[in-house]
Amino acid sequence: MPALAQRLKEVDVVIVGVGMVGSIVAKELAAAGYQVVGLERGQARFTVPEFQSPAIHDELRFSVRKALMQDSALETQTFRNQASQVALPIRRLESFLPGTGLGGSMVHWNGQTWRFTRSDFRLATHVRERYGKSFLDPELTIQDWGVTYEDLEPHYDRFEYLLGTSGKAGNIQGRILAGGDPHEAPRSREYPTPPQKELFQGAIFRKAASSLGYHPFTQPSSNLSQPYTNPEGMKLNACVFCGFCERHACEHYAKSTPQTVILPVLLANPRFELRTGCQVQRINLDSTRQHATGVSYVDAAGREFEQPASLVITSAFALNNVRMLLLSGIGTPYDPATGKGVVGRNYSYQTTSNVASFFDADTHINPFMASGSSGTVINDFAADNFDHGGLGFIGGAYVGAVNSNGRPIQYHPVPPGTPAWGKSWKQAVVKHYNHTVMTSIHGSSVSQRQNFLDLDPTYRDAWGQPLLRMTFDFPANDLRMSAYITNKAVDIGKAMGATQVAGNPRNGPYTSTQYQSTHNTGGAVMGDDPNTSVVNRYLQSWDVSNVFVIGASAYPQNASWNPTGTLGALTYWAVDALKNKYLKSPGRLVPA
Amino acid sequence: MKWLTAVTLLAVLPRAAVAAVAAPAAPPCEACHGAHGEGMAAAHVPRLAGQAADYLQKQLDDYAQGRRDNPVMNNFAKQLTPQQRAQFAARYAAMSAPYLAQTAALDAVRLARGHKLAHQGDETKRVPACDGCHGPDGTGVPHAAPYLAGQSAEYLAGALKAFQQGTRKNDAGELMRSVAERLDDADVAAVSGYFGSLSGAPDH
Repeated sequence: MPALAQRLKEVDVVIVGVGMVGSIVAKELAAAGYQVVGLERGQARFTVPEFQSPAIHDELRFSVRKALMQDSALETQTFRNQASQVALPIRRLESFLPGTGLGGSMVHWNGQTWRFTRSDFRLATHVRERYGKSFLDPELTIQDWGVTYEDLEPHYDRFEYLLGTSGKAGNIQGRILAGGDPHEAPRSREYPTPPQKELFQGAIFRKAASSLGYHPFTQPSSNLSQPYTNPEGMKLNACVFCGFCERHACEHYAKSTPQTVILPVLLANPRFELRTGCQVQRINLDSTRQHATGVSYVDAAGREFEQPASLVITSAFALNNVRMLLLSGIGTPYDPATGKGVVGRNYSYQTTSNVASFFDADTHINPFMASGSSGTVINDFAADNFDHGGLGFIGGAYVGAVNSNGRPIQYHPVPPGTPAWGKSWKQAVVKHYNHTVMTSIHGSSVSQRQNFLDLDPTYRDAWGQPLLRMTFDFPANDLRMSAYITNKAVDIGKAMGATQVAGNPRNGPYTSTQYQSTHNTGGAVMGDDPNTSVVNRYLQSWDVSNVFVIGASAYPQNASWNPTGTLGALTYWAVDALKNKYLKSPGRLVPA
Repeated sequence: MKWLTAVTLLAVLPRAAVAAVAAPAAPPCEACHGAHGEGMAAAHVPRLAGQAADYLQKQLDDYAQGRRDNPVMNNFAKQLTPQQRAQFAARYAAMSAPYLAQTAALDAVRLARGHKLAHQGDETKRVPACDGCHGPDGTGVPHAAPYLAGQSAEYLAGALKAFQQGTRKNDAGELMRSVAERLDDADVAAVSGYFGSLSGAPDH
């Protein structure tokens, strides 16, 4: 790296990563009168021209070769299951897919927009109260978030109205409403748009789940059911069920992404400057190590710059938020041997599994006709919505017919025992492609002492910086959860009238070579105690008070649902604290 | 717009065709849409040859049930049974016809604007490319969206205006209304003229 970086003019706020979080924070702070610079490592891209079809429906380019994702030839993570192993770089992204480029990972998301429930935010307290002190496996490190559902409700609401989320409320201010999820925590008002259309597979699932006494409903979706104009004045279109949602981008302005819901407003504000192709190397600290002076980055031409700023927001993908703190020396790195330190602690994930239900040739599922988020699901086994006494685990999963595509290269369900290639495999694909319902079991992930993130001692990125090292395996608690709930989903498959039902519960060890979920959470968790959290309840660093770390990196453990809705709520919650508390009187918002 | 269309239509209808309105057995499609479904571009009458059968049937059903408004077509469609509507749709879907010469040539600027809207869209107006739904070069996606290539430019402009003004509302998910409301008059003329200038797929 050149010895002399060019020092730029100081700004009020520098934002690392211009995805959904970065766009919201930048928009709010620029509108409040602050000079904001957004640094994005990837390229600028918009619905027109970058996301237009037919090119955007190229399954080989986007789904298989993952054109919208972080380029693992430049930077990746190293992975191992246990601290006794040597971690190796994930050279081809498979099990999780961090995006890159303007708009971040929400460009390629499915639009599944959930809220967590009350008990999730006070999980440790809740489990102790309901099941007693000795219920948990001793290695678990679950904890309370430092915020409550009630704190976040107005911010969930604001985020959903930004996105235009389509759904049916099951609980408005305590009133349980037919058609929605009766288990959900109370919301202040109805969803901005009505639920998505139900697919045939969803209708089959609904009937079967109802017959077993469960409470099916259409999952909330930020692929919209009808045109919508959000409070920022952005107009969105209705989803056309093209079946190229996740891993691809939307050509129709129908999926809620930064590009469709907020970026045009942000980019029109002269107080905001977007710089793409800028790889932030570190957050710079002054000699006290308690105050950030800005960030250093390398642009696409390889030139190094120092961008001084009064306030630094890191809003990169969860894993990269943690890495940025470690590279910058902010906070004490976690040491699994002693349990001391916080940065990298409580990395958690998502425990997913599925059930394949194979039907006869007269039942036409048409899996290709799909939205990213038009499933029919139940929350009867999510979170603590059922009694865990005697079950030996905490946590849960939502279960549903949530199939977002039937794309030709990668979607070919076949019954167990089918050869993996050759003529018999081909015959089985032809036989089952249009006659299979995939039920998804989307489960929580507890944090435990052995799972953590740190810097790899060996492998470096294209800029010479250490890669992030992931040490992760499924906690026994979560494998027991997966087995129990996958069995329940098998029962639903049988009730659907399938001729064959194959349950695939999650088994260890965790592998990085099979897609499971991009819901990587934790590592820079929020909380009330600086000994067990990296940021306080406002997402402000305990150690460097002019650094805010906003991302799913803040989750102390992961819940039963997709994390984006909660991330949006936390973002508006943090923005509120920034505008109304921090920027009026910079300093620690919570005494350490 | 719809009145203008209707008046234009009535003006060009041969006397025999008007008389035939009363005879439900044989609606005089040919009088306006041509013996081979080639349409009558100057009179805003769309080309039907090779158009997807389910699209044509939906339009006939919508005319019959009042979901799409056009006095002439409402009148004819109402006289048909659902089965007859399906038969007419299938008949025109199976036809092929030569493409008609355009009534007015587009200047290069308009052609370029039409080409951009058709194939690329417009980010500042949040208009996706027409091709995204209507298929490569606007040649249509059966079951999903009608072809535009080779369609009467006058008809296309009229349809866009009708979506824009909300006098036509039979588009699924308000997809066409959402797009049309973001186009100005020059856009409508450019994109309609562009598609009108194309010849469609060989089998249309």
